[in-house]
Amino acid sequence: MILIHCPYCDEKRAELEFAYAGQAHIARPADPSALSDEEWEHYLFIRANPRGRHHERWRHIHGCGRFFNAVRDTVTDKFETTYKAGEPRK
Amino acid sequence: MSEGLTRREPVPAEPVSGRDVIVRAAAPMARYALRARQASDVEKLLGRPVPHKIGDTDQGVLCLGPDEWLLLAPAGTALSAGEGAAVAVTEVSDRNIGIIVEGPRASEVLAAGCPLDFDRFNVGRATRTIFETVEVIIQRAAADRFHVEVWRSFAPWLWTAFATVASE
Ligand SMILES: [Zn+2]
Repeated sequence: MILIHCPYCDEKRAELEFAYAGQAHIARPADPSALSDEEWEHYLFIRANPRGRHHERWRHIHGCGRFFNAVRDTVTDKFETTYKAGEPRK
Repeated sequence: MSEGLTRREPVPAEPVSGRDVIVRAAAPMARYALRARQASDVEKLLGRPVPHKIGDTDQGVLCLGPDEWLLLAPAGTALSAGEGAAVAVTEVSDRNIGIIVEGPRASEVLAAGCPLDFDRFNVGRATRTIFETVEVIIQRAAADRFHVEVWRSFAPWLWTAFATVASE
């Protein structure tokens, strides 16, 4: 079983306490009505899908309940690091 | 309450005695979910210190997350609704059932469905976690006694699981 470090609980917990929540660092546009359809589509649906290092959101849903960010390798499934929501991209 | 209404618990009133472990229902109690950005706001509401570190407990107050506390208190305990305080106070007394697992094999019963390392789970500590597929809050009340909070509708399943492992 994979252990994931929760930056709020500050300890490693079993993967089954966590939920994946999509790609990280996608900021909602400040003024959606100013966007073209293509830009809005890009914000809503277009994601990176890299082979390797991926910045993603996770939630310690069956623990402290908090969302946080992680860098995970999509090939090896290894978590490189996790950090609190709002902290700069690592 | 009408005389026609009687309280029905989702788990048996009779404890289950297994090998070196007893599983029993906890007495009904008052439960409050408290959400606040600052622990100091919760302290103002309760008029006493509350734990600041996730997992710590202090006299019935469990720190479950950076902005979440659970208050377990004797049945009937009333809490101010927190008018004017930056705390969301929600009474959840009847949402959960408490199950007590006690005895030398208590941690073994929990470990049957939960990946936490109970050798490193100190007395007084509490956390939300998963038992098999059911979300629970586990508090270690003593070296050989655990208090497990579970939503009512999941309680019969969890009771059966505990009783099954206890009797193995
Ligand atoms: Zn956590």
